[in-house]
Amino acid sequence: MIDFLMLTFRILIFPGFAFLLLLTLFCDWMERKIEARLQNRVGPMVAGPGGILQPLADFIKLLTKEDITPRAAKKTIFKFAPLVAFTIMIFALCFIPIDGASVLSANGFSGDLIIILSFATITSFLLFLAGWASCNPYGTIGSARVLTQFLGYDIPLFLIALTPAFIAGSLQIANIALFQSTHLWPFIILAPWAFVLFIITMQAELEKDPFDVPHSESELVGGLETEFTGAKLAFLHLTRDVQVVFGSALVVELFLGGPYGPVFFGASWFWFTLWFVLKLLVVVTISEYITVVFARFRIDQVLSGNWRILLPAALLSLMFTVALVTWVYHPLGV
Amino acid sequence: MIGLIKSTFGDKVQIQLGQLGAAAITVNNGLHRDVLKTMLAADGKTGITAITGLDLGATIGVYYHIHTSDVFVTIKTEVRKENPKTQTIVDLHPGAAFHELEVADLLGVVFEGHPTPGHFVLSENWPQGVYPLRKDVKVNEIKNVPTPASETIKLPENERLVKIIIGPQHPALLEPEKFAVTVDGETVTKVEPRIGYVHRGIEKASESRGYLQDVYLMERICGICNSCHAYGFVGAVEKILKTQVPPRAEYLRVIALELNRLHSHLLTLGHAGLEIGYETLFQYFWRDREPIMDLIELTSGNRVYSSLITIGGVRRDLKNTDIPKIKTTLKELRAKLPFYRQIYENEPTLKLRMKNVGVLSKQDAINLSVVGPVARGSGYDVDVRKDEPYSAYGEIPFKEIVYTTGDTWARMNVRLDEVEESINIIEYAVDHIPSGPFRLELPRSVPAGEAVHRLEAPRGELFYYVRSNGTDMPDRVKVRTPTFANIPSFLKTAIGESIADIPANFVSLDPCFSCTDR
Repeated sequence: MIDFLMLTFRILIFPGFAFLLLLTLFCDWMERKIEARLQNRVGPMVAGPGGILQPLADFIKLLTKEDITPRAAKKTIFKFAPLVAFTIMIFALCFIPIDGASVLSANGFSGDLIIILSFATITSFLLFLAGWASCNPYGTIGSARVLTQFLGYDIPLFLIALTPAFIAGSLQIANIALFQSTHLWPFIILAPWAFVLFIITMQAELEKDPFDVPHSESELVGGLETEFTGAKLAFLHLTRDVQVVFGSALVVELFLGGPYGPVFFGASWFWFTLWFVLKLLVVVTISEYITVVFARFRIDQVLSGNWRILLPAALLSLMFTVALVTWVYHPLGV
Repeated sequence: MIGLIKSTFGDKVQIQLGQLGAAAITVNNGLHRDVLKTMLAADGKTGITAITGLDLGATIGVYYHIHTSDVFVTIKTEVRKENPKTQTIVDLHPGAAFHELEVADLLGVVFEGHPTPGHFVLSENWPQGVYPLRKDVKVNEIKNVPTPASETIKLPENERLVKIIIGPQHPALLEPEKFAVTVDGETVTKVEPRIGYVHRGIEKASESRGYLQDVYLMERICGICNSCHAYGFVGAVEKILKTQVPPRAEYLRVIALELNRLHSHLLTLGHAGLEIGYETLFQYFWRDREPIMDLIELTSGNRVYSSLITIGGVRRDLKNTDIPKIKTTLKELRAKLPFYRQIYENEPTLKLRMKNVGVLSKQDAINLSVVGPVARGSGYDVDVRKDEPYSAYGEIPFKEIVYTTGDTWARMNVRLDEVEESINIIEYAVDHIPSGPFRLELPRSVPAGEAVHRLEAPRGELFYYVRSNGTDMPDRVKVRTPTFANIPSFLKTAIGESIADIPANFVSLDPCFSCTDR
């Protein structure tokens, strides 16, 4: 009984749904605030201290707006794709160790890295379906661009994610994070080239500048979101925000040593959560900084950058890692 | 050039020197083609500035305003109202296409042989035989014309081709205008423009208002370059009145015009950033534009519509106590320019989106008679401030900015460099401003006559033709805005490029459609 209550609490409250939702909204606020400050603006200011409640206010506002389904749209997909995408994204986050353990089980299982990466792919595909089902020219072009982009960037993302997995000798996220903590060297130091490549690829996966071609307002109005209103739009926005948190969390787990860090006193879960959130915010800041200083690529530039530069670089990175681990790190006892 | 025309055509042409530019050449209908042919053959830089159509009672005057590398002349011809037909000149000079369409729409002149006849300014279901700018058409008649019905879109014959309609409402266009773009995959094969969605009939409205009222009406053509429009009209009226405004007024006008240019260029530079997804650049430029708006308010009392320039001078003097404020603001702006220059030179994503996008060759620029930064970005050195100095520009030293690559990047760099030149001009003007009166009192009614006035607005050459009939209201006012002359270059450069380049290419023209739809 206690176990069951505990699991329910973990899934619904901490570190599950409620915590993840709050974290997502906080990250959204922080993204907006950083972007605004870097652009010489003030950003959200009104709702809550420093505008911290603005993302929540926006979400609630969208929920209260009229919900329109275009006559031409494929109704079922159009209605459910945003919700399902959001669910899957939150589900994927449940596999990530936050307070020292992931939401569902203490250490996950072997290969859960592959599982959550495919969840991310499924989400992108659902977003594509959502835009496609809206039967709007801008929506369909926007979602076609989402599809082309994530098909291209998923392959390098998987390849680069294998680098930390290889060094740690495990496909289990908890083990990869633990490995960095027990050996005291996070992979950002052991494999900095992979970190840089992963951040760039993540930027493309999350469709942020300079890779935000699916959302380019000046060409595509709202991209795949064009026909969405009300609650469906609210969930589309939320999905995007959760994607950002998910991508940053993945970087934290794979390269920054996950939630693990020094425990000074008291309960370890508190310190682990604190380290996790702090590291996450660092990654969000880096990502937002990249967004601000670059202009948007054109879709063909995005694709040729992917196939001509990033994919070969990812392969080289993997080969380099294998050689380095076999002939340098292992003999040195790292 | 005028001597050449005189010797070639002899008695067949009637030349009035000093009228409507360097000379007004009156020819019979049909001969205008031959005169133009001679001019085109004699001078490689011959182009068309505007075509003015005007109701002269029994006939309709069609005036071709032609610029060459050294003179500006007007070829006058007339067509009879019962049979308003004349030959097109588009085959001689492609830049005339839009001008002819506009005259055809508004005055009912038929240009035989025009490659793309049809409505251009008026709606598709406009009733036959109602030509708004003819004198017998009353304003009420135009107002009662039914609202436009839905248009049918002609689909391309080839199945590979897709037609994408950009506008009248589109996020890349801040103003309503339509471009039907035919694409093959991602490559643009054809662009068909359509203007007139917000046509306000200002030319017609000016005929029923007094000259002083018209100054304010003309300002309303464009919010950004409002002083330029006011000065365009005022300059033409002052030429008919044959007055010389006091030198202090000329300097004050230069300051107002250059503040307009700073404001407009900073706005476009930022807007270009937005179009290529570079929001930070947009925010920075618009932040730096704010102090310029404050200067406009300081010098004219108004933030946007300055209403400073008026017939006979300016309405408000510059206070000596304001000069330090102007100088510090400009100094601060100048200090920021190296940063922007460095972004344009070094930022890789910006160069990827702007370099080699929308390349317009110099020859095309001349053939299409483009103006302003678009022409100067292609190495075509037209700047009315240099070519035909007006106001106090003849006394103020400044550089003419010319880039030769002709791409979007060059056009934006012309503007960035001109920001610096404008700062120089304003600083020189406030340092060297003569003392004395700043306004003349002039009579309300203007003697019969006609005049043209050209000036360099931020977007390029702005052209005004004013004809007076001796009363207190003008008989005809013709405005040719820079965007109207620059749209043909976009139709040319967009072809063969990716559809994703359209926003960046387009914004580099600094399009202003509300100006185009006077």
